[in-house]
Amino acid sequence: MLNFAFYLVVVTLGILSMGFQLLGSRLLSPHFGSSIVVWAWLISTFLAAFSVGSMVGGWISNLPAERRHRGQWIAAAIALSSLAFTVIGGRAALDQIELTFPVTGTGLLVSCASLFFVPVAALSCFGPQCVQFLAARGTPPGQASGLVYGVSTLGNIAGVMLTAFALIPNFRVSTLLYGWLIVAAAGLVALLRLLRAPTAS
Amino acid sequence: MKTSLLCGLALFVTSVQAAPSGDYVERYDTLYNSLTIERVGSVVEMRARAHGGEALESAVDLSDPLKLVIAYSHTLFSGLFFQPTPARVLMIGLGGAGFHRLFTAAYPQALLQTVELDAKVFELCQSHLGFKPTAQTPVAVLDGRLFVKRNREKWDWLILDAFRGGFVPPHLKTEEFYRECAARLEDRGVFISNLHSGTELFYSDLKTIQAVFPQVVMFQTAGRGNVIVCAVKYRSPVVTDPARWPATATLARPLFAGRLDLDAVRQEHGALPLTSIRAARVLTDDFAPVEFLDAMKTNNTKNR
Repeated sequence: MLNFAFYLVVVTLGILSMGFQLLGSRLLSPHFGSSIVVWAWLISTFLAAFSVGSMVGGWISNLPAERRHRGQWIAAAIALSSLAFTVIGGRAALDQIELTFPVTGTGLLVSCASLFFVPVAALSCFGPQCVQFLAARGTPPGQASGLVYGVSTLGNIAGVMLTAFALIPNFRVSTLLYGWLIVAAAGLVALLRLLRAPTAS
Repeated sequence: MKTSLLCGLALFVTSVQAAPSGDYVERYDTLYNSLTIERVGSVVEMRARAHGGEALESAVDLSDPLKLVIAYSHTLFSGLFFQPTPARVLMIGLGGAGFHRLFTAAYPQALLQTVELDAKVFELCQSHLGFKPTAQTPVAVLDGRLFVKRNREKWDWLILDAFRGGFVPPHLKTEEFYRECAARLEDRGVFISNLHSGTELFYSDLKTIQAVFPQVVMFQTAGRGNVIVCAVKYRSPVVTDPARWPATATLARPLFAGRLDLDAVRQEHGALPLTSIRAARVLTDDFAPVEFLDAMKTNNTKNR
């Protein structure tokens, strides 16, 4: 049961992160178009966020238990508050950024950094925590890493397909972003509880 | 041996691409399109590979560049019924500049500013379709919406003819974008858009345009899936009644003779499909599932 809940949360966070990328492209397009330049900045931002998030998450996962838990709560709080900023104030921020930075590349850099980098990096912090969770319960580290990233990537695929073929055709982007925020909050609360669950030993 | 063979092959390919004389077919993968340039006789076509075949983007007859080869480019001149003296025209989407030659020859004092996203399209248009931009026909390589936002000038005609492989990017289909276009029109200016009929997207397009422009008039290009929509931002005088349009004789230019029949364009006027429009949804920046409303079902793929 614990394992089922754990993998469900990992899949859900995978769905959120890549689906968020597609929603991000819809947020950016009225301001910067939908050219390959926009996609290059968007994809690079997400990859940079995955990278930084994984490294910070790896560092957090090696902290003593009390500090690790504090780090996890801080990461969750940053993820949710920055996601809330994007959901609630994203369009207004883009209006302002577009006026302030007439050069497309600079505008895109500032937009992607301010709206997408922080929430995705904060969410990515939890990848190494999840590996630690399995490893602490007896799964060999290599296998734990493979399982977490394999399951998470399946969630990524589901996120892309679900968002592209089911959600965007039927719902407003703003509605979907609020949905993302709610699901992210539920997923992170569940994950934080799971990560505090005592190990069998 | 291998090296010389490769060098020879490279030289052959280079020479084929550098000297486009006689019939040829060339293919280019650009940042945004997969294009085919085909010359048969004096006619050069620019096509974009798309779902189910190739969408004909543009064509020019090099023996008579003023000739309007593509059917819908005739219909674009329907703007004359609403703004008969176009001095400043903004066109979003260059293609092969099939419309530009006759327009600039007929209105030599007019400014025809074009915005094209794909730099390679602009390059091919010059190298293969004989287009030479001038001070009267400048081309900006930029996203159309960005240009409309950043350029604060006003236009008599604003033509939206931006296709990428047969469909229009979603951000050029929304109510917010049309409002930005309306803001760039002169008080008596006309917004002209090339649409594809026969899909759900078509009705959403019309409903979205109607949400911004109080008066909308539709022209169905004869025998094709293209529909040219002309829209104005004023309610009075009424322009939806063809009886109130200027006589075609007063609009015709000498260069139109044998190339553009405005009476035939007038005949393409059709009634708006109001029942279907009522059932359609307005496209906005927040909700624009353009790809899923399927712009590709009816296209100018097969014929000119």
